[in-house]
Amino acid sequence: MPRTTTVESPGCPPFRALTFDVLGLVKVVEARGKQGGVPKVVERWGEPESRNCVLAACIDDRKRDPMLAVARKCGKIELLNPLNGDTRVVISDASDTKPEDDPVIGLHLFRRERTEERSRSCTLLSCTTKGNAVMRSFEVMDSPEDSVSNSTTNKWNVCAAGSVLCCKVDGSENYAMVGGKGVELNIWDLDKCSKMWTAKSPLKNNLGIFTPTWFTSATFLCKEDHRKVVAGTNSHQVRLYDISAQRRPVLSFDFRETPIKAVTEDIDGYTVYVGNGSGDLASFDMRTGKLLGCFLGKCSGSIRYISRHPDFPVIASCGLDSYLRLWDVKSRQLLSAVFLKQHLNSVLFDPGFADEEPVQHTRDMPENEAQRQRVDEAQFVDEEGTLPVKRKKKKKTHKEGRDHKTPAKENNGIDKLNRKKKIKKAKTLAGNDNAL
Amino acid sequence: MGWKRKNDDVDGEDGFGGGGGGDKEKAAAAAASSASAETKEKREILPSTIKNKERRSAVHAKLKQQKTLEKRKKLKARDAAEKRALELGEEPPPKSIPRTIENTREFDETVCRPDDEEVPLSTFATSADDYLRDLFAGNDCDEFSSVLKREHTPKILITTCRFNSTRGPAFISELLEVIPNSQYYKRGTYDLKKIVEYANHKEFTSVVVVHTNRREPDALLIIGLPDGPTAHFKLSKLVLRKDIKNHGNPTGHEPELVLTNFTTRLGHRIGRLIQSLFPQEPNFRGRRVVTFHNQRDFIFFRHHRYIFDSKESKHTDSKDKKTKNDKGEKVTQEKVIARLQECGPRFTLKLVSLQHGTFDTKGGEYEWVHKPEMDTSRRRFFL
Repeated sequence: MPRTTTVESPGCPPFRALTFDVLGLVKVVEARGKQGGVPKVVERWGEPESRNCVLAACIDDRKRDPMLAVARKCGKIELLNPLNGDTRVVISDASDTKPEDDPVIGLHLFRRERTEERSRSCTLLSCTTKGNAVMRSFEVMDSPEDSVSNSTTNKWNVCAAGSVLCCKVDGSENYAMVGGKGVELNIWDLDKCSKMWTAKSPLKNNLGIFTPTWFTSATFLCKEDHRKVVAGTNSHQVRLYDISAQRRPVLSFDFRETPIKAVTEDIDGYTVYVGNGSGDLASFDMRTGKLLGCFLGKCSGSIRYISRHPDFPVIASCGLDSYLRLWDVKSRQLLSAVFLKQHLNSVLFDPGFADEEPVQHTRDMPENEAQRQRVDEAQFVDEEGTLPVKRKKKKKTHKEGRDHKTPAKENNGIDKLNRKKKIKKAKTLAGNDNAL
Repeated sequence: MGWKRKNDDVDGEDGFGGGGGGDKEKAAAAAASSASAETKEKREILPSTIKNKERRSAVHAKLKQQKTLEKRKKLKARDAAEKRALELGEEPPPKSIPRTIENTREFDETVCRPDDEEVPLSTFATSADDYLRDLFAGNDCDEFSSVLKREHTPKILITTCRFNSTRGPAFISELLEVIPNSQYYKRGTYDLKKIVEYANHKEFTSVVVVHTNRREPDALLIIGLPDGPTAHFKLSKLVLRKDIKNHGNPTGHEPELVLTNFTTRLGHRIGRLIQSLFPQEPNFRGRRVVTFHNQRDFIFFRHHRYIFDSKESKHTDSKDKKTKNDKGEKVTQEKVIARLQECGPRFTLKLVSLQHGTFDTKGGEYEWVHKPEMDTSRRRFFL
């Protein structure tokens, strides 16, 4: 009989992801439902045109007025509303060079306000292949015509020769990292726009062969620390640099045969996800440099971008095989694959989306206000430390019961009160169980 | 196992009966009952589980004969039903479609359908080419569109691997006849990247590299220029023109191109890559067809000449005509018959990898690579 293999999708946690493709389309993929949501394309923004090819994208997920920055091939940088796709601001470079010759390679939208005086201003860092880094800040108005780029643009050049291929900003948003073909890994202080640190290329190997510098992707290892940097090279090497230690890599190892195309850090601060040019995806522990495991799922095209979900243990990868794939981090299983028809350049999770579910959850629960508060407290307790706390509570109630048994004969009024308390406690316990 | 045990029992009983000579009735009854049980169980038990060879082959032969008889009966019944339906003037029973690997292929969501939502089919395409072009927005702006929209005429550079002998040059000389506007360049000791650079300078639109191993062409590399993809094919079953019986010699006209069964996105991309090798205006006077037929991910290449022969139909027919037509002495009904003559090489291609950008083995990004983990089903096809 025909053996048909279907993708066994255990289902995804609820998420909302934005994918950006070669034709400049932005597609919104959503999965709903607590267990086993099937991700679907919900919306599509933009018209297919190769000139609009998205090169880099960045999302700023603040509660009020979220922003999505998209750099296109034609030299435009657009700021969109990630909720409905409305264009807020369009910035076009008025430089003398053709935008096709000098495409934007890195884009970062600052989450914290760099200029504190106005609440609706945005700051954007963009870096092009030739090393022109520009920091712009501008005000966002309701219509795209009104919003004006302030004069506080800050331009500098990050490299003299070679081409920049990766550019990242760390979690504190004070430092940026730049690397590329013929460009050693640099770390820049964004406040002063000065170079802080430069890597040194590794020594010749035992055969006396020197591999030329060619960084293809890089990331900061953890959010708080800007000193540890993981970089992937064209010669399929993954390297860990420690700024505080030395200029040569602290750790380096090989991964398969094709160039590393995507490196993304986990939130735990030591795991790194690595994707390469022939569609292999793996996770590494950067403390030891050991391979934790590969993500197997018949992925046949180069992986261009990996992104980690901020809350759930899920990563999304996308690339030239035009599938958006969602993986479980722990079991490394393919959760789901969505076919999106074009070559994808990047994928971003919308962290604001997850808010919906728990809010509904609490709303559904009790009628009585006091009870609700208790339930909330109980939930809180549960989250903190599950079993021991509960046990203590039970013991306490028992003790109280015993204590009150003897004086119960003497005083009826107190007994009544205690009974009430007991009932309440029972209620809270019941609520507790419900919450569980 | 149960059967075997019974068999043993029977043997034992037979031996006992033969030795003792008494209780014949009982033995016969036992044998009869065991025989009936055997026939019942024989159908259930696989002959391969029988250990005695003679017995096994006998059972197997019997089973096989039964099967053939059943099959014959079934066929007869079907034919009879069809005949009856014809006589009664009813609709004949629907012909059952045999199940093949292709038509039970695994569901593939990348198969391109005309109702693809990525492209609104508001404008009705006139020709097949236009239709294909309209099918996907992605096609409109891929690397081949400038050639396929006839903005550039295709110009092909054909070269070989470093060592090239016997069948290699012969194959190339035939390839040069198949692909119009193609030029052969000696490989020499140049790097392929240098050759690609050179071809870019000279405004070639594609580079074809024939790789030979042990004096036998075994791989084909098609590189789209200036930044098109690189497809790496395995080449097998090469038959050159002189080895084909009754082969014809192709003319210099632009051939017609037939691409069949390229259904998925990857298939379309490969199809377009192949399409961009040939000029987009076929010269129909030449009556030359080049076919790339995809079946189960193997791409079969054939090269034919065709001719429409007008044959005079049989005399009896014309006689009938004569009776009907008053003037019809000279009227002879003409029947048009298409005849094919194969020419040029015959070979089979299988896609190994499709690389993004031009040839770059070290730093290349792959759009598709064949991986062993994909081969877990016979019914999964990628083109």
